[in-house]
Amino acid sequence: MTARKLILIILLSITFIYGCTKLNETVGGNLTSVQVAENPNTAELLRGVYASLENTFTGYTEILPLSEFTTDEAIAPTRGGDWDDNGTWRAFHQHKWDANNVHIHDCFNSLGGIIFAATDMLQYKPTTQEQAEARFLRAWAMYWLLDFFNQVPYRDPGENLIQPARIISGMDALDTIINEVNAVGPYLPNDPPSVANKYAAKVLLMKCYLNKAVYINRANPNFDASDMNKVISLADEIINSYKFSFSRIYFDNFAPDNGSIGLENIFTQISHIGGNYQVNSRWASILHYTQGGWNGFATLSDFYNKFEPTDRRREAAYDYLNSPPNPGHRVNVGFLLNQQYDLENDTPLADNIGPVIFTPEVHNVEPGPNLEMPGIRPIKYAPTYSRFPYFDAATNEFVYFRFPDVLLMKAEAIMRGGTPTSAGPYGNNALAIVNFIRTEPSRSATRLTSIDFDILLDERGRELWWEGWRRQDMIRFGKFLKPFEEKDYTSDPKYLLFPIPSEQIAVNPILAQNPGY
Amino acid sequence: MKTPNLQKFFKLLIVCMITVSARAQQKIISGKVTDNKGQPLGGATILEKRTHKGTATKEDGSFTIHISDSNSRLVISYVGYKATEVAVNNQTFITVTLLPSTSNLDDIVVIGYGTARKKDLTGAIASVQEKDFNKGNFISPDLLIQGKVAGLQIISNTGQPGDATTIKIRGNSALTGTGQPLFVIDGVPLDGRSLAAGNNPLNFLNPVDVASIDILKDASATAIYGSRAAYGVIIINTKKGQVGPVKLDVTGSVGVSSILKKIQILNASQYRDAIKYYGVGSFYDKGADVDAFDELVQNAFQQNYSITGSGGNENGKHSFSVGYLDQDGILINSNFKRYNADVSTNFRLLSSKKLGLDLYLNASQYIQDGTLLGSGADFIIQGALQWNPTQRLNNDDGSFNLNLREGGGYNPLALLEYLRDNLKISTILGSISPYYKFTSWLEYKLLFSINYSTSIGRHSEDQRLQSYDFNSAGKAAINNNELTTQQITHTLSLNREIFHGMHLDAVAGFEYMKFTNKGFTLSGDGVPGVGYGNYGLDYTNYVQYSDAGRRSISSFVDPLSELQSFFGRTIFNYKDVYLLTTTIRADGSTKFGTNNKYGYFPSFAAAWNIHKEKFFKVEFINALKIRGGWGKTGNQEFPSGSAQALYAFEDNGNIRQTNTPNPDLKWQSDRQYDIGIDFSIFNERISGTVDYFNKATTNLLFPSPPIQPAPQSSTIRWINLDGKILNKGLETTINASIVKQEKFGLDLSVNTTFLKNNLSGLIVPVHTGFAGGPVEIIENGLPMQAFYTRKFLGLDKTTGFSVYEGGDNSFYHVGDPNPKTLLGISTTIRYKKCSLIANINGAFGQDIFFVPLMNLINASEINGGRNIALSVYEDPVKEKFANPVTPSSRFIFKGNYLKMGNLTLSYSPGDVAKNFKSAAIYVTARNLFVVTNYPGFDPEVNTNAGVNGVPSFGIDYQHYPTSRSIIFGINFSL
Repeated sequence: MTARKLILIILLSITFIYGCTKLNETVGGNLTSVQVAENPNTAELLRGVYASLENTFTGYTEILPLSEFTTDEAIAPTRGGDWDDNGTWRAFHQHKWDANNVHIHDCFNSLGGIIFAATDMLQYKPTTQEQAEARFLRAWAMYWLLDFFNQVPYRDPGENLIQPARIISGMDALDTIINEVNAVGPYLPNDPPSVANKYAAKVLLMKCYLNKAVYINRANPNFDASDMNKVISLADEIINSYKFSFSRIYFDNFAPDNGSIGLENIFTQISHIGGNYQVNSRWASILHYTQGGWNGFATLSDFYNKFEPTDRRREAAYDYLNSPPNPGHRVNVGFLLNQQYDLENDTPLADNIGPVIFTPEVHNVEPGPNLEMPGIRPIKYAPTYSRFPYFDAATNEFVYFRFPDVLLMKAEAIMRGGTPTSAGPYGNNALAIVNFIRTEPSRSATRLTSIDFDILLDERGRELWWEGWRRQDMIRFGKFLKPFEEKDYTSDPKYLLFPIPSEQIAVNPILAQNPGY
Repeated sequence: MKTPNLQKFFKLLIVCMITVSARAQQKIISGKVTDNKGQPLGGATILEKRTHKGTATKEDGSFTIHISDSNSRLVISYVGYKATEVAVNNQTFITVTLLPSTSNLDDIVVIGYGTARKKDLTGAIASVQEKDFNKGNFISPDLLIQGKVAGLQIISNTGQPGDATTIKIRGNSALTGTGQPLFVIDGVPLDGRSLAAGNNPLNFLNPVDVASIDILKDASATAIYGSRAAYGVIIINTKKGQVGPVKLDVTGSVGVSSILKKIQILNASQYRDAIKYYGVGSFYDKGADVDAFDELVQNAFQQNYSITGSGGNENGKHSFSVGYLDQDGILINSNFKRYNADVSTNFRLLSSKKLGLDLYLNASQYIQDGTLLGSGADFIIQGALQWNPTQRLNNDDGSFNLNLREGGGYNPLALLEYLRDNLKISTILGSISPYYKFTSWLEYKLLFSINYSTSIGRHSEDQRLQSYDFNSAGKAAINNNELTTQQITHTLSLNREIFHGMHLDAVAGFEYMKFTNKGFTLSGDGVPGVGYGNYGLDYTNYVQYSDAGRRSISSFVDPLSELQSFFGRTIFNYKDVYLLTTTIRADGSTKFGTNNKYGYFPSFAAAWNIHKEKFFKVEFINALKIRGGWGKTGNQEFPSGSAQALYAFEDNGNIRQTNTPNPDLKWQSDRQYDIGIDFSIFNERISGTVDYFNKATTNLLFPSPPIQPAPQSSTIRWINLDGKILNKGLETTINASIVKQEKFGLDLSVNTTFLKNNLSGLIVPVHTGFAGGPVEIIENGLPMQAFYTRKFLGLDKTTGFSVYEGGDNSFYHVGDPNPKTLLGISTTIRYKKCSLIANINGAFGQDIFFVPLMNLINASEINGGRNIALSVYEDPVKEKFANPVTPSSRFIFKGNYLKMGNLTLSYSPGDVAKNFKSAAIYVTARNLFVVTNYPGFDPEVNTNAGVNGVPSFGIDYQHYPTSRSIIFGINFSL
């Protein structure tokens, strides 16, 4: 029996060694919220918030298609087998998108992700400035949700994510954004542009007040003079800081070293190596295959024709940091049209079908036979070629707010009933302000003799093309639903808002689908 | 501990088992067991029927047994033979002759924490013995039973050697995860994950080492495995030592493979005509005549050898095996090699032989070489399909024609040479299992096992590749993963007659398992303009040469996953006529949310052996059993760390929460009932099984969209979704010995499965199956993953554009990827020492989305100088290049097929010389032909096109083509 006892003892001891566990899940390569709270690393968490902005705004699949392809200045043509993607791109310019559109879905979720990251870090006791930055970035994401969807989901820090988020919409959302920006503004730093700063806060407030009437009634906005006066006084605060001026060359603001030479930039996003879709996609999605791109998006000829040939915002043979030699001084930024050249040796580019000649006529669905060449190609950001063939290592900072926009908003506010003021050298009426910008040597456009809303909208287009403001501007000027090139009909007013992605409607009962979808 | 009641219950059970005891007078008798040819059968089981005490025969067939009563009856059984019952009638020496069995009702079946005779089963369990396995060189053992079992669908996902299979038991109920059954090897459940995406997790196990495979289909059989058993359980039993002198079995085979079926694209002369027809310009005629596919595929050589040794006596049985497999893929440069060895011993210790010790150790390594990982093989097939057949692949100097934009696409030969992968996976599976017999009817057993595997993957992209998918400076990447499973299981088994005629077989146990998974990746791109240089070396050997700004490193470890379980089973057997089985398992998992730590999985089943009733007097019916069972099982196939918030360390010192936790998360629940009939008639010449099953899956584990605002990188939030997936079906298996003569025999086995699949109760439809956009939907009233896309009406004769029902933005249910009928046919024709075995399998009623026709060989490709499908060119309507390439029913095809899985002709001269026994030579054809109208490589296909963790089914992206093999082999024993 001793053997039996011995064996029993051995076996029972094994049982106890490997005995019952409490089944608590332990982690190794991540941190739990308890561990984050124990080692407050709010600077790392704040960097996480900034990183949340990157793909959303700088990429080509989220903010860009919603804010630009829906307008008269941008189109994403289907080129036979290329860029079909289940019809999700062409739906934008045609105003035929629905609640299942993948880009609308991604954009809503990414903006929600910024709100989440900024909210979440507030529970870990950030410094006053860190808190101010996080809350400003949250307000910035909320602003885009308001503008696109009129509904903004929000949560408290540390909330159970299985519970439906609460929603604020319309004017409640706008008030929340304005209050948040006002609350944190004093605690934001003065610079640099690549972090949330005091002047970025002022520009965001200008956008809020300028568009307030739109958020009250998108189809028939009725602008209030007191809102316009707020826009004007905020503009004057920015002007009178004398922190911002005009760059030597218009395209300096978007160059690979725009962090130092982009004098007009008020708020930017730094790209960092390792992300998915940095600024590189702003040229890669556009350039032809022979130029190292994916041969996608284009601008429309009607829009191109709004520029005078002398306007230096239209195109340039731009010599920039580490730019290719470009011996033929060919146009390499701005709107690319006609024969394209190898910028190393000036040989005309050609593919297997023939020469690479971009043509102005472009369609939602290219009818052929030539599918690849149609479309004027807008290159706002000079490609970072220094590291060719690595396009994705762009050093260009992505531009959110630029000083000329501040001036143009002031001019518009005056035209919409605000009281004219004089600040800086830019004049005290709309025409003077607009002419200052146009005749600045970096622009070199002719002086206008008169101004009206149509001319101002055109001027905003010329100054701010492909910077993400066109949809908002066209709605504010009442032009969004009207026919334009490659959309020869008046759209249903429901398209003034995007639909809430059907997936979110399904999981959050508090969200209501926008009218008409 | 949250389950005090359960613990008490088990304690009580154990005490009951121990206190029941009996002593009886004993008698000794001896005897001998032989087969019908007079050959002794070593290792046959002798059981005293009343007491269920038993022994086994020695190598010479002799046995000695203590019996309680000189009028006892003995039951003598041996795998593959008909069990025989003899009355002792005061004899002291008994000679028994066993006849080979055609029905396998006497086979011993492993049922999870124990064994049972097939005829004592109450659940739906199929067992396939070695003699019935598919023949041929298989890399993984799951293919041994393809087409052999009703209700079991096995699909080789692609033709790449070592690629994973899709295994579905009783239909499709996986809204997430793999839907694969739980594999258990000799009592050790596998993790189920593979270290390399797309690789078969069973690759480490040499099929030669497998003795039998048992498939547990219904919930009454699988519930003992609890929260991991919802998709069925497949138990693989390896060969164990046999009593007798050392015997060596040697097998060797060599073979050659070639492509089974090609995709119809234009040849050079058709291409020249097509250029004119479409008016794309004569510059695309490059003058040559090339079939890129022919250049790409080879007649691939394979060889496979193994030596298995076995021997032992009453004190210990031992076996070992070593194996080597070397199989070239049909794409040049691709290869799969495996080295493996295993050792198994069973000791009987102490003078009383009451202490036993089983040891098992399996070590293997396999190496996949060539362009294999990730999308590499896809690029090659894409390149070959799109290659302009008038363009040469090589330049005059022998270098590759790499002007890839000129003439479009990729040069497939260059990709084969320039995209290199090498994956090495090493696995050790070891277990040690001491057991102690307290009495003849009470046994305690401990099983401790560890399953460790590690992979090293190396990937390089040559800098000479110039297409925009590859940077022109070269790339090298190395990754390492480690997967470990540790297990400890205690079981206490009771097996005795509790009162006259009533026999109880019971087991109670505790099990603890621990799963870890970790790894790292590092990669670097070459310096612009410098690359990795043309030194002819593998870039992964000097990654430090890369551009310092273009390196990527990352490492991970999954949250530790632990599983703690209590389980028990009782089988009451009254005179072999009435059988009742009950099981219960309680599973606790770290993965479950804090509010749902434990799940309970009960089952009940009963069977009635009608033929044993006294009133049953039908002469021609040898056996007739009716079974019925009900049970609950679960599925917990979601990643660890899904129930609590996790913050990730990201690039450049960011920390962000990356998941959307669900503290209420629990297992998915399956309720299944099964009614079955087993029969054998006409002297067991015909036997069969019919089963009806009804399986309802609820609390669907589902990767739901997070509710915004939610972490940006969290695309899913694991929840238990309302909704029900119902799988219903009928399975039939018929085995018949049609001719059974000395010189000539004809056996036929046919299994069929009829499946129906339906969904209800979902709040929102789920889109998956990415082919340009999601083309499959999971929605109420439709089968799982029903095709849902535009309905193609044809090409407009005037515009050359596609016309869709309701226009470009209307979507319809246009197909079903789930087969409605599965068919397996096996037949053996034996004449003297020759035999011919044919195994045919087929699936009917399913649709397949053929993606390459949509996005690779559509009409517009010829405008870019690439090739197009013959069917597009031959279409009476001339398609416009500008016709958008949009997903629609145009690319959905019927997937019906019947495949000659293998056809084997063998000659078995038997014992040729004294030291050269049981010799057999054979020739096997695998995938000899397939009958189908499907235009892809193979209708037996399933490439992964899932969206956000929701799997797709029946989508065929370009993939490694299926091969046909001819194999010559020899087996003999020393």
